[in-house]
Amino acid sequence: MSVPLPIRPSPTVVNGGQGTMTCHEVSFRYFRQQPWVIERFSYSFAPGITLIKGASGCGKSTLLRLMAGYLVPAMGAIVTPSGRQPADPEFQRRDLGYVFQQLNLLPLASVTRNLTLAASLAGLPPETTAMRSAKWLRLLGIEEFASRLPQSLSGGQQQRAAISRALVKEPQVLLLDEPTSGLDDLNTRVIIRALQEYVNGARICVISSHDARLESLANEILDFNRFLPVERHLEALV
Amino acid sequence: MRSSILIASYLWKDTWKRWFEQPGSPLSRLFVTGLLALVATVILVAFHLLERSIRERLERFGLNTIVVRETVNSDSRDLTVFTDAPDRLAALSDHGQKLRVRQLSVRGTTEWQDGVIVLTYGPESFDHFIEFLSPETPGILFSEELPPDALVRVNVSRHATLAVTRRPQGWLRPLITEDMLLVPQGTWPDEERLGFIETTIFQRNPDAIPVAHLVSAMTTFYAMDRDRRSPPQVQSALPMIRELEKLKERQVQWRNLLAAILGLAVSLVYGSIAVLEFRQNLFVTALLRSFGAPRQFLFWRHLIENALLANLAAISAVALMAALHTAIFGTLGFAKPVLDFSGGNPYASAEVLSILIWVNVGALLSSIPILIGLRTPVGATLN
Repeated sequence: MSVPLPIRPSPTVVNGGQGTMTCHEVSFRYFRQQPWVIERFSYSFAPGITLIKGASGCGKSTLLRLMAGYLVPAMGAIVTPSGRQPADPEFQRRDLGYVFQQLNLLPLASVTRNLTLAASLAGLPPETTAMRSAKWLRLLGIEEFASRLPQSLSGGQQQRAAISRALVKEPQVLLLDEPTSGLDDLNTRVIIRALQEYVNGARICVISSHDARLESLANEILDFNRFLPVERHLEALV
Repeated sequence: MRSSILIASYLWKDTWKRWFEQPGSPLSRLFVTGLLALVATVILVAFHLLERSIRERLERFGLNTIVVRETVNSDSRDLTVFTDAPDRLAALSDHGQKLRVRQLSVRGTTEWQDGVIVLTYGPESFDHFIEFLSPETPGILFSEELPPDALVRVNVSRHATLAVTRRPQGWLRPLITEDMLLVPQGTWPDEERLGFIETTIFQRNPDAIPVAHLVSAMTTFYAMDRDRRSPPQVQSALPMIRELEKLKERQVQWRNLLAAILGLAVSLVYGSIAVLEFRQNLFVTALLRSFGAPRQFLFWRHLIENALLANLAAISAVALMAALHTAIFGTLGFAKPVLDFSGGNPYASAEVLSILIWVNVGALLSSIPILIGLRTPVGATLN
């Protein structure tokens, strides 16, 4: 389902709505002399799945990293559903699940160990960790690879392992950066099913992707091309 | 707590793998620190031993002792046999007691020793030696080497005499640097006529004028004798105390210099390697931070790694030196009694322990770039 693009600037919401993740007038650029990658962006992410789509370099991944607290906005504020700042380690430990574009599993830890480490940082007791690990590994179809090191897994398996690591905490906010890029339909369907199971209408899931297969999954679609048409010149080339 | 254990365990695994893949990294750190700590230990222990040998000399000599040595040649008018030479220190009688002996220009030999110093004593000094005398012989051989209370034959020129062996103690302790035979004056008159060193051991009363004043007075008394060809040698504890003070001063300078060199070298070498490895490992560090792993924890990992290597190298170097102590410092010319650990273990001294402090300071300084590196946002590293 496609939704109208958010207005810029949006109505001022500093404290965030109940259960929403709110960006208020957020601006960011990587270096001072460079143009803004994101400029005065305001939006409230409601529970459900929001798909951010847009051309490469339009700032989709940057927005996710800002929402995760991995980058700090130059201006504006982001408020998490719990009211914490995204850069608060407590939010990152307990309330946030993040799947990077480049998988990023700990190379020396088995799949289970990757999950256990994330869950223990979230403060989950070992029994809950074991139960949830089994559940998400099963739902993502990598149960039998649980004891293997990431390097021995295929790209699709690694991607599903990375998603299960983010899901094992069952966080309030799940951010996924291109979770299905380069994956076949079968892998994508498995991931979609797991995400639907996780969100269940109550949690916030933001996916940055230009994979059209994910559009059917989204409750809202945010077209980022509108914000930063930085590479519009590419259209002229084709 | 559980997460800390899991992260620590993962980081240890990661560190171990890195060391295994690039053994040059830990080995170079171990080698540089070990070598520097070894040099620092040698210098500091050498200072410690030097100080100890001066203290021992000082203790043996005595703080209130003054020894005056006056050479009397065969043509000197002071050459008197069977009688004492004029007592030039008579004016100082109220300030202390004295013992006069003569060191002959000949040396004695025993079955086990060559070059035994020969001293004679006059009737006035008899009281000082009465406790050492044996009924069998008037000769006393003061020796650190030979067992005490044994009778030994000593040959001096063409004469031979029996002497009872005794440990050096009492009044003669300041004089004894090697084995010494003591016989009554007139035992060998021909040898005495060859010349001798008139030796006066002066023991200052504790409440008398200061040692420096006494030394000055003695020098003055001898200077008054216009016929004297060469001035006497006046020996007191003062130069030894000055030597000790100078040594301590130099010790502090060296310690500061070594601290600077060791701290700087360790921080530079470890810092450079830590920065390179941090860059190589940036991904894992950023990933752990993305889960919310505390930044301090990741900093501690580098600090502990550096401190572990630095301490391992420094402790090994000190232990190696302790094991080779006698061999190394014996070769460098230190006397056996000084090398003995019974008077205090120099490797457990504050100076040597400070090496550990310096290397740890170096390890801490080397970790500062990591602290700065950890401020880089996770999002700038991970994609």
